[in-house]
Amino acid sequence: MMAARASNIWLVWLTLAVALLLSVASLPKFMELGRPLWLALFLTYWVLAVPHRVGMTTAWCLGLLADVLNGSLLGQNALILTLITFLVLTLHQRLRMFPMWQQSMVLLVVFGLAQLVQLWLNALTGSRPPTLTFVLPALISALLWPWVCAVLRGLHQRVGVN
Amino acid sequence: MPIKPLFAKGPSLGVRLLVFTVLSAALMVVDARLTLLQPLRAQLGLIVAPVYWAGRLPVRIWDSATQELSTRSELTAENERLKAEQLMLQRRLQKLAALTEQNVRLRELLNSAALVDDEVLATELIGIDPNPFTHRILIDKGEKDGVVMGQPVLDARGLMGQVVEVMPYTSRVLLLTDTTHSIPVQVNRNGLRAIASGTGNPERLELRHVADTADIKEGDLLVSSGLGQRFPAGYPVAMVSEVIHDSGQPFAIVRAVPTAMLNRSRYMLLVFTDPRTPEQRATESAQAQEALDQEILQQAQPAVQAAGASAPTVNPPEAAQ
Repeated sequence: MMAARASNIWLVWLTLAVALLLSVASLPKFMELGRPLWLALFLTYWVLAVPHRVGMTTAWCLGLLADVLNGSLLGQNALILTLITFLVLTLHQRLRMFPMWQQSMVLLVVFGLAQLVQLWLNALTGSRPPTLTFVLPALISALLWPWVCAVLRGLHQRVGVN
Repeated sequence: MPIKPLFAKGPSLGVRLLVFTVLSAALMVVDARLTLLQPLRAQLGLIVAPVYWAGRLPVRIWDSATQELSTRSELTAENERLKAEQLMLQRRLQKLAALTEQNVRLRELLNSAALVDDEVLATELIGIDPNPFTHRILIDKGEKDGVVMGQPVLDARGLMGQVVEVMPYTSRVLLLTDTTHSIPVQVNRNGLRAIASGTGNPERLELRHVADTADIKEGDLLVSSGLGQRFPAGYPVAMVSEVIHDSGQPFAIVRAVPTAMLNRSRYMLLVFTDPRTPEQRATESAQAQEALDQEILQQAQPAVQAAGASAPTVNPPEAAQ
């Protein structure tokens, strides 16, 4: 029984695969600027829920996959996701105690920082997105967090990832 | 035993972050500066096509649904339009045969490298880069179909861009309008050369460093000049939409609209150009021409052959190359 419960880690990988898919799914033109950071959102949930299973190594590997999908420099998204995981793990004890809206606020800052690093890395490779629009995905992700959290928690409790 | 620590094993968080950061940075530098990771990337690229395919599934379903539900009048209208277009194209085609023939003959006269026709391969769009600030697309032909780095891509109306990453069954194409892309062009009317750079706006290119007095005006067609040796010469690139002379600026501001439908085309053509350099091509065509001349000379003067046997000859193997 315990062995079966422990092996339910597949759910984590399944949801992360869905996040990868969502991160390249086509969107209408006006929504592209604010494409939510699906990978970061899903990863944050699992890091908060099962920190002993999902950590920075998972984040790094996932980031490499995202790099291959997006055609960015190998290691770019890997670095961003590792950074997010690091911040979430550092804030982990407090973050779990916070009410939902406060979690969203903290995640806004975390994702905003990550987007800023992303902007720097993009600038290094020559393509500079203009203005402050790079914060938009972080904002939308923070607003989506309660819903993502609710859906994943439902799945988590039903399957019982341990 | 004290309180169970959160991370019983392994190094601390900070150390891990440092390790991963250094690892990522190293990977990025290697990926950007060296070609070491190219094969690995290509193999990892195998997963790209199915993911993008699945990602576009909703769009495909929506497209086919709207197609099913489009009314009869819409279809008839489209049919009419296509018929008119076909008629127009056929009229142009009639002229084209004569023009091509004339062109070949004139080039023969000039002894220049013949650019008769390029080979093309049709390809379909399968994905668009999720980053709205880069203009890149994914197409369904890759290394297995003979696609190479830097290969030009066009649609029915003009040049679209070039291949920047080749994976086994897919490739990534950088469009003309990406901020990191520039293409050497010339004005079709008078041959004025310029560089058209992308602006990040899918409807606009900008011509860099065009003198204020240059003969360029609204409505001029810009064609590829082939000077960068990356794009074939003579394909339409853009139409000049605006020429602004500002006395405060050192150069004229020239804006152009790409003729290719960069954000609408589903089907594209990959152009296979001659792999030889222009110099090689010129030398070889010159040699071939010389051989031909010799042949004609020998056929025309069989009687004189006896008198002057020391006519200069061309090495047959060299000429055959």
